[in-house]
Amino acid sequence: MRLIIIRNENNSHSQINKGKEKDKMKRITIFAMFLTFFTNLSFAAEVNVFSARHYDSDIQLYKKFTEKTGIKVNVVSGKDKALQKRITEEGADSKADIYITADAGRLGAFDAKGMFQNSMTSTIKAVVPKNFRSKNWTGIAKRARIMYYSPERVNANELNGMTYEGLADPKWKGRVVIRKSNNIYNQSLVASLVKHNGKKATCEWSKGVVANMARDSKGNDRAQILAVAAGEADLAVANTYYLALMLSGKKGAEQQAAAKKVLPFFPNQGDRGTHMNISGGGVLKNAPNPENAKKLLEFLLTKEAQEHIVNNTFEYPMIEGVEPHDLVKQMGIGFKQDLNTKVVNYQKNQAIALECMLSAKWK
Amino acid sequence: MISIYLRKINIWYLSSFLISIAVAIPIVTVFSSFFDSTSNYSDIIKNTFLYDYLLNSFSLLFGVLFLTFIIGVSSAYLVSFYKFTGSNFFKWALILSFAVPAYIYAYSLTAFFENYGTAFTILKNLFGEGDYNSKIPKFDGMIGAIVAISFSLFGYVYVLTRASFHYQSQNLIELGKNLGFNKQKSFFKIILPSARPAIVAGLSLVAMETLSDFGSVSFFGISTLTTGIYNAWISFDDLALANQLSFYLLIFILGLFVLENLSRKKAQYHSPTRGGFKKKALTTLHGYKALLAFSFCFSIFFISFLFPVLQMLYWTIIFPKHLIDLDLISLFSNTIILVFLSSFVLISFAFISNYGNRLSRSKFLEILTTFSISGYAIPGIILAVAFITFISWFDKNIVSFFDIKNIKSIFIGSILGLVIVYFIRFYSLASNGIKSGYLKISYSIDESAYLLGYSKFKTFKNIHIPYLKNSILLIGILISIEVIKELPITLIMRPFNFETFATQAYIYASQDLLEAAAAPSLFLILIASFFILITSRYILKD
Repeated sequence: MRLIIIRNENNSHSQINKGKEKDKMKRITIFAMFLTFFTNLSFAAEVNVFSARHYDSDIQLYKKFTEKTGIKVNVVSGKDKALQKRITEEGADSKADIYITADAGRLGAFDAKGMFQNSMTSTIKAVVPKNFRSKNWTGIAKRARIMYYSPERVNANELNGMTYEGLADPKWKGRVVIRKSNNIYNQSLVASLVKHNGKKATCEWSKGVVANMARDSKGNDRAQILAVAAGEADLAVANTYYLALMLSGKKGAEQQAAAKKVLPFFPNQGDRGTHMNISGGGVLKNAPNPENAKKLLEFLLTKEAQEHIVNNTFEYPMIEGVEPHDLVKQMGIGFKQDLNTKVVNYQKNQAIALECMLSAKWK
Repeated sequence: MISIYLRKINIWYLSSFLISIAVAIPIVTVFSSFFDSTSNYSDIIKNTFLYDYLLNSFSLLFGVLFLTFIIGVSSAYLVSFYKFTGSNFFKWALILSFAVPAYIYAYSLTAFFENYGTAFTILKNLFGEGDYNSKIPKFDGMIGAIVAISFSLFGYVYVLTRASFHYQSQNLIELGKNLGFNKQKSFFKIILPSARPAIVAGLSLVAMETLSDFGSVSFFGISTLTTGIYNAWISFDDLALANQLSFYLLIFILGLFVLENLSRKKAQYHSPTRGGFKKKALTTLHGYKALLAFSFCFSIFFISFLFPVLQMLYWTIIFPKHLIDLDLISLFSNTIILVFLSSFVLISFAFISNYGNRLSRSKFLEILTTFSISGYAIPGIILAVAFITFISWFDKNIVSFFDIKNIKSIFIGSILGLVIVYFIRFYSLASNGIKSGYLKISYSIDESAYLLGYSKFKTFKNIHIPYLKNSILLIGILISIEVIKELPITLIMRPFNFETFATQAYIYASQDLLEAAAAPSLFLILIASFFILITSRYILKD
């Protein structure tokens, strides 16, 4: 009995709904058209940037590029590896022309997967030192990974001749702060140690560093510097631009004052020099607009763009003839950079570096 | 006749079937690559961190469940059984915590408690220069994540428990009184046990959200199963390990899901279906008791909502440049486009599928639909990448036969693709919402209607729709709130030059520009609050 009712009602229901369904179909079609419009929106001259480095100042730079060349810059920014995954999976259909990220190891790893194409032009070769580029990608700006200390609690003697290797010295027990082992800047730094001292020594060194930590690793680079300012630790490892950022007052008056309580120290001045890293980019293998992409890279390496970058992100310029920001200059610019270790090689040793850190229980 | 019958069945069948398939894509993708290559990353990880992943996920889960239980149940109890200054205000004010995503809560915690943070500034202004950093507690790492997630999720426990308290039979409580139960005894012997299904349902929702949280755990740098899967799969291409971790995670979450479903079913038995629903007499509190109740509710309201809002507001005010730089119009329109498209699509499909289930009463369909909630089980970030992987597989193996081009650009990096992944992620929300709406309409009501000569359609129109109208609106708003707050999927799937408040806030935060993330975060919270306020009367329907 119930079944029959159901059948009958279903029947009438379907008739009533037929008209509605037609309407609905119409709407759905319009909808679909609307969506395809959204998906295929494209410009004649454009370059598509996938960026894991997303400063507002970069966006301003891209606008300048468009004004100059008429090439529109489209940007997707996001987490480094997730962006890479998207580019890889999109494969030949990928619209991405250029991939920009911080850390040479990341660029190297992505290159090792065959995701870049030859990005070099004579202009790029002429302005970027060999050490900071490979065939398929180039550095855009430089940063050094240095130490910060509390002048109140660390005397000049203690730091005399200080090296990265020295971080494992027991005299620093309970005094060192550094980020977690999953941090890519740490992985590159430790990779350079692997290159110089070998795996065994570096794994030992990692244990020494962990034993010296004032607390379990946590927070970003800026948090390490603040920990020294706040007296939680005496010595921090962090990139150069963070201190300048705080000194600039962009992080507020409190942090500006805190930043003045620490001093930068450039390690390994007696031997190979201070560990350098880059933010950079390369033209992707399946780029639909490779020429525009190269133009953008070239533009980012012009004096105008470099000045814009260094004044906004407090990195070091990649090309000659551009001065870093005054606050960065104050930290010292005459230091010896490690130019023996090619940044191209960071990638090769990052896995070993991570293994050493993990086996030392570096959080 | 038979052909019509078959056609009818086919439409419902097909839609439910297709929805289930679509929603199952990511799981299938994750597991189908089970035998793929493994990098040596897994050896390192297995020896050192696998245990940590499990332990961290457990600790996080445990901490969050404990906190949300305490906060959610006690606040629900106070506003449901007592009258005190502000009790009516807190009834809805407490659900504003839904507007604050855990990752924004995490930014606020860091901003306030870090060395030389806002707390330091306040202390300095109050008491002059001093060494306050060491005295200010640090809410970071695991503790930070537990606090951030708990205060942004306790609303689930609060809302469900409160609803259950509300419908609790006054007769039972009076019976307790007659038996000489004091307040305490009746709370532990009657009120709490009869609300148990609702509490468990709320807690399992909290647990699912906690396990799939990515934003705040990655912000605090905690290695949980979710970040483990992300690292193994996305950073190290180690699919075998990713699968292994996903497997653990899925087991967890499916367990919770079953628990939630069972509790929901039980919860029905406690709702008064016939006669004798006596409006509860609220006890009016006076003196210090009223003050205590007020302070407790206010603290929760303050910590869960006012604190992150004020922190973000403070930063927006002292760093106005970031607000001026913000392209508000496009952020707003992008967010709204996503909200409307996904609510529309989700509700339509959830409706089709649920109505079909109710009409056909097919066990098979019901199981299929239950299966299709699995999108909820997978963290958004994994879901998005799984979807991209699937589309590229689909493109390579199937579409290429038909010589159709550009299939990837239709689905990846487009609003369409974004809405599809939202669909997979939030389908359970929509479907369960409609379903629980339907559950409230007892089959006996349908049958009575038939006896009164109502047709199936008339029953639907005159009885179901008035009931479900509120459900639909409510679900639409719940989806909207989720979409506004959604981060990882949007981040990976979005088109060029397309930012929402969530992605904009994240991008600044990931560049260590928390103060710039303040303005978009604030707008996100305000918009979500607006949506919550317009539905509060449905969420808290008395």
